Amino acid sequence: MKIDVHCHVAKRANRASRGWTNADLIEAADKLGIDKLLCSTPVSRGQPTMKMVRECNDITYEAMKEYPDRILGYAFVNPGYFTEAIEEVERCINELGMIGIKLYNQYRADEPVVLPLIRKAAEMQVPVLWHAGHPPSPEEALRWGQPRISDGVHIAALARKVPDAILINGHIGGGGDWEWSIKALKNVPNVYVDTSGSVVDEGIVEMCVKYLGAERVLFGTDLSMEAGVGKILGADLTDEQRELIFWKNIDGILRRRKV
Amino acid sequence: MIIDASTYIGHWPFRRLRHNTAEGLISLMDRNGIDKAVVSSINAVFYKNCQEGNEELAEEIEPYRDRLIPFATLNPKYVAWREDLERCVEDLGMRGLRLYPVYHKYGLLERESSELLREAARMRLPVELPVTLVDPRQHHWLDVDTGLPLNQVLEAADRYRENVFIILNAKTVSPIIERKGAAAPPRNVYVEMSRLSAVLNKSIQAVISRLGVERVVFGTGMPFHYAKPALLKMEILDIKEEEKEAIYWKNMAELLGLQGG
Repeated sequence: MKIDVHCHVAKRANRASRGWTNADLIEAADKLGIDKLLCSTPVSRGQPTMKMVRECNDITYEAMKEYPDRILGYAFVNPGYFTEAIEEVERCINELGMIGIKLYNQYRADEPVVLPLIRKAAEMQVPVLWHAGHPPSPEEALRWGQPRISDGVHIAALARKVPDAILINGHIGGGGDWEWSIKALKNVPNVYVDTSGSVVDEGIVEMCVKYLGAERVLFGTDLSMEAGVGKILGADLTDEQRELIFWKNIDGILRRRKV
Repeated sequence: MIIDASTYIGHWPFRRLRHNTAEGLISLMDRNGIDKAVVSSINAVFYKNCQEGNEELAEEIEPYRDRLIPFATLNPKYVAWREDLERCVEDLGMRGLRLYPVYHKYGLLERESSELLREAARMRLPVELPVTLVDPRQHHWLDVDTGLPLNQVLEAADRYRENVFIILNAKTVSPIIERKGAAAPPRNVYVEMSRLSAVLNKSIQAVISRLGVERVVFGTGMPFHYAKPALLKMEILDIKEEEKEAIYWKNMAELLGLQGG
C-alpha cells in the first residue's frame, strides 16, 4: 500500500495545461503501485483572491469526483482572508469531503496572520501540508519568486505555538537545503515531513528517519512520481519503517480527523 | 546486463556522502544489480591540479577494473593537460573524459576546449558532461549556483562533430526536444536518463523520439543519488525490451568499445 501525501491534479487555475490528464496521473500511480493520491490545486505566485481559491478547490473536487477511490483533496486557502479562508476550509472539508489543508507561500508559517487558520485546523484535527524549502539565500528566494517561502525553522515556530496542530513540512526533496529543515524539525513532534520532490540525494530519507523517527516521515511525490517511490525503496530502511512511511503514518493522521 | 554511465567516488566538500569509495560504490552496484559503471573522481573537480584526482581514482579502483570504467577529469585551462591526458589514457587506462566547464570556469566553445576536444576525438574518447552535480536550489554558499546550459552543449556538439558528448544528470531536456528551427539535434549527443521521467511528461520517451533510442544511456548518479529511481523509470518505461537493452547497456558498451558488454 502506498499513499502519496503530496500530489496535484492535472488542471491548474489560470495556467497552461500541464500536458497530461488525471487519467495519465492514475496510470502513473498504477504503474508505481500508488493507491491513493492526496492532491491540491494551489496558486504558486502572488496573493490569490477568495474567488481564485474557490476555483482551485473546485478543480480539486472535480478530480475527486472523477476518481473517488484514488484522489483525495486538500483545501487550498490564502490565510490572509481570515474568516473567509476558514469558511472555505469548512466548505471543502465538511461539504466536499476533503481531508486537509494545503498552504503555499502567500505567508510564512511564523507570521501571526496564519494563526486563526492553524488553530481551526487543530480543532478539526486535519493535517496542514505546507509548501516548504530553504533557499541558499534570501536573494535566491526572491529569484525563485518566493520571498515568503517557509522552511523547517518557520514551521517549527508555528508548531510550538499550536502544539495540537498537525503540520507537514512539504517536499523535503523539493529543492533547497533539506539538511537545514530536517535539523530544525528534530524536536517538534507535531511536524511531519513529506519526502516528495525531484531530489533523490542518497541519504535524504535516512536523515529524516534518524532525526525525526520513521513515524514522522511521509511518502509523497509532488508529481516526481518515480523519484518519490524510488527514494523510499532505495533507502536503508526496515520493512516496518517503509510501511510507516508509505502509508501507515498518513493513515493514522487521517483517522484523527474530527469532522 | 546494466552499465551505469554516471557514478563517482571521492569526497564531496558540501555534504557527507556515503558509499563514496570504490568499495562502497561496488556495494551499491551489487545491491542494485548494476554490472559495470563509468566512474570519475569527485576530488579531481576541486583540486586545482585535477590530475592528482585521476591518479587517486586509478589507484582506488584497481581491484575492481573489471567493473569500474574510469573517466578522466581534466581542465583545459590548467597547465599540462596534454601530458595528463596522455598519462590517463596510456598509463591509467581511462576510457573517456568527464568535464566540468562551470566548475572550472570555461566555455565549451573557447579555444582551450576546442584543443582538448580535438585530442579527445583523435583518441576516440567519449566526453561526459554532468549538467550539475547537486541540485542548484540547494547549493552550498561556496559551490557553483548554476548548471551547464544545454544549449552550450548542443552548440559544441554542432561545432565538434568528431566528438561524442554524453549529457549527464539533466532534469529538463527542452533545448534538445524543442531545438529552434526544427533543426535536428546533432547526431553526436547522447543523454543519460536518470533525472528524466517515464510517466506524466514522459521526457525519456521525448528524448527517444527526438534522438533515437540508440542515443539514450542508463545512469544513476551514485553515490550522490539513490539508484532506485532510475531503475524504476526503466522498469516502467513503455518501450520494447530490446530498446531497454540498448539503454541499459548496449549503447554505452558500443561507445566504450566493450566487447559483448
